[in-house]
Amino acid sequence: MKTLTPLLAAALLALAVPAGAALAVTAEVDRNTVEISGNLYLTVTVSGDSHNMPEPKLPNMQNFNVYDSGRSQSISIINGRITSSVSFTYILTPRFLGIQRIPAITVFNGKEKAIAPEIQVTVTKPAQPSQQAAPQPAAPQRQPRRPAGRPAAQGGEPIFIKAEPDKRSAYPGEQINLSIKFYTSVPLSSNPRYVPPSFKNLIAEDLPPVRNGETDIGGVRYAYSEIKTAIFALTAGPAEIQPLTVIAQIPSKAAVDPFDPNFFQNMLAMSGAQGESREFTTETIRLDIKPLPAGAPADFAGAVGNYSITASADRTEARTGEAVNFSVTVAGSGNLKAVTAPKLPELPDFKVFDTMSSLDVRKEGDVISGKKTFTYILVPRTEGRKTLPAVRFSFFDPRAGAYKETRTEPVAMLVEKGAEGAKSVYFSPTPAQGAVTASGADIRYVSERSGAATLPHLAAKVMALPPWTHALPAALLALCFWLASFNRFKSANPLLFRFRRARSEASRDIEEAETLIKAGKPNEAVSVLYDSFMNYLSDKCGVKVSALTMKKAAGLIKERFPATGERSLEEIRELWTALELRHFSPEAAGTEGTSDLAKKYSLLLEMLEKELRK
Amino acid sequence: MTAMKWLLLLLLAAAPAAAYDRSELAEFNDLYKTGRYEEALEGYKNVIAQEPANPWAHYNAGNALFRLNRQGPAVLNYSRAFLLDPRSADIRANLDFALRQTGQSLVPANVPSALHYLYYFLSAAEIKTAALLLFWLACLAGAAGFLLDGSRAGLAAGRAALTAAGLLVLSLAWLGARQSSPFASAAVVVKAGGTRMLSGPGENFKTYAAAPEGRLVRILDAADDNYYEIGLPKEGIKGWALKTEIERL
Repeated sequence: MKTLTPLLAAALLALAVPAGAALAVTAEVDRNTVEISGNLYLTVTVSGDSHNMPEPKLPNMQNFNVYDSGRSQSISIINGRITSSVSFTYILTPRFLGIQRIPAITVFNGKEKAIAPEIQVTVTKPAQPSQQAAPQPAAPQRQPRRPAGRPAAQGGEPIFIKAEPDKRSAYPGEQINLSIKFYTSVPLSSNPRYVPPSFKNLIAEDLPPVRNGETDIGGVRYAYSEIKTAIFALTAGPAEIQPLTVIAQIPSKAAVDPFDPNFFQNMLAMSGAQGESREFTTETIRLDIKPLPAGAPADFAGAVGNYSITASADRTEARTGEAVNFSVTVAGSGNLKAVTAPKLPELPDFKVFDTMSSLDVRKEGDVISGKKTFTYILVPRTEGRKTLPAVRFSFFDPRAGAYKETRTEPVAMLVEKGAEGAKSVYFSPTPAQGAVTASGADIRYVSERSGAATLPHLAAKVMALPPWTHALPAALLALCFWLASFNRFKSANPLLFRFRRARSEASRDIEEAETLIKAGKPNEAVSVLYDSFMNYLSDKCGVKVSALTMKKAAGLIKERFPATGERSLEEIRELWTALELRHFSPEAAGTEGTSDLAKKYSLLLEMLEKELRK
Repeated sequence: MTAMKWLLLLLLAAAPAAAYDRSELAEFNDLYKTGRYEEALEGYKNVIAQEPANPWAHYNAGNALFRLNRQGPAVLNYSRAFLLDPRSADIRANLDFALRQTGQSLVPANVPSALHYLYYFLSAAEIKTAALLLFWLACLAGAAGFLLDGSRAGLAAGRAALTAAGLLVLSLAWLGARQSSPFASAAVVVKAGGTRMLSGPGENFKTYAAAPEGRLVRILDAADDNYYEIGLPKEGIKGWALKTEIERL
């Protein structure tokens, strides 16, 4: 049965997953009316297949500044069906007054697409202007618009920037709030651009929204904008906040009043006004990060802050082989992102599968707080009344300067024997015992390969060839094309080529005949001359030798070459007659007469070549 | 079969030239391993100076720069390594990782990764080489087809030439399509903190946008002595940035 259970569970999982795979998305805000200086939480919940859960892609929202505020995941397993949902929380700070729109939010997992409808939010003026961060009690509630270009501050810069942490010494993981204030007493022609600082041995978390206000410094009225950032040291030792920069446009023409209440809402945005660009930079701020004191509890895993811990199971009764969600929640203030899963006590009566963590961060009152929930999938092995023992969690409280330990209440559960074919599931279809959980990401290690692979190397060699070498195959192709065309033309026009080569073949025959004459073979020489003459006339007239008669030859020559003289035709007839006589009466073919015929034939060729021209 | 033998011979001839010289990079990797990233980086730069087409020298330099928290130059070196050897899983992984640190990604969100891998399966140099070899093959097979005109062998050579010509057109189309890739005519913002985008090539022009460090940008005009005209296709904006703050791939 033990070996059967996982198989059964896997089979049921295959049935269960599609049942819970329909993708859906919802979006909601914690309030529909918000002050311009306040913020609201947007929660986007995506539900569907837990193995293919897409992250929502927020549309471009010009009317809000958007800050990520964590995510939380929940899985319900009811009668073997898995329902998984992930909630993504964002903090939105409005930038403009009036009715503002959060456009429709779309998620796509590669197969399915789901859309959450748009949301409208009303952004109002601050209920009590004095609540804006204008610390000067003497400052008027709402200053009348002052003329642009009034005198600069006396005894101080008209524009300056200040960066100040709330503490210079802290423990690793203890929250330090960095306040960055940009002051101006002159109108700017566009919204300044903020280039955030880089950190050494520190990590940062935004603390929205951007605060705006007015204050008097040295008798000069300044408008200021404040950005707050929570920073946490990573390890003991020195830490640095590197210089940050604000680039501002000093106006040359049209000015914008810095005391406009909406002016700094667009702190990070750009505008189209003209002006001179100036940079304002802070100094490097050095912090002293103290080491945590000795005497940490054995289960201390680096959590710094002030936390409480609770545990719960999603049911109090279960059957063997069925999955139970056991959640341990760490809540409180501190860098929750760095909090790791508490170690579960020994649970011999349960199989422990994947751990999921959900993070819900809040930033109320400039304090990073919230909760982190670790969900374990437990599968009871044996029936009976079981108790999940208390889970301990140790942390360092920087305010008290001491380690503290907190623990959950034990959770009781009644486990009954699972029925045959009970619907049991594993959270993950992968073998749970060897499950790998990614805890971070980093670049891959350096390589020792120094040479290029064969293909890139071959490419480099080919590319290094002189360009003219690539003309060679084209030239070869052109040459072969010409040859092929020539051959085709030659095949299509055989008479033309016979006409052209008739003279050279006849000359060759005359040479052969003369050789035979010298060798004392006049009869053979006459035969060669006769055949040659017939072939010559055939080539020139364009008819076969068998179809050639003296009369026909003369007629064709006259027809094709009208310029041919009567003398030439007469010479043809004479030579034809003489050769025919010698050819068919060999006894008459003496050496001397044959030689004369060869010469006569040669002279006739010279004459005909001049006259038989196309 | 004869063609296969020739191809094999060609590859074998090229292989010795690509032989590994493990000692040099290994020496600098030892520095990297012990956290002496600046010294390791100097070593990698020397290797790059000697072998600009060595992807692993760029890759390792990118790693050292990443460890030194210099995102822009790291992205630059990873991108160069990627352009030289786009099939390497290590190079792709680190480039993607570095791009994600700067709000970008190697594979666009709406593009299947398999299609992206195929699109970048060959480097631009390899596609050009393939096009050249196909050109040679088309010409030589065509020449053989004309020489053996009328015979069965001539017909086969003619078909081979047409196939090679078709593949040549496809490879040229691939090369043309790559001109629209984010890595074509591209550069990387290497200045710490990002670069300002001005409305003209000079300090007297207004700053109206900023490109963060490590951002891949497209070079639109490089004619000015001191400024590039750069474009951010995703945002649909362009502007002028100092050449000292941008480095071409």
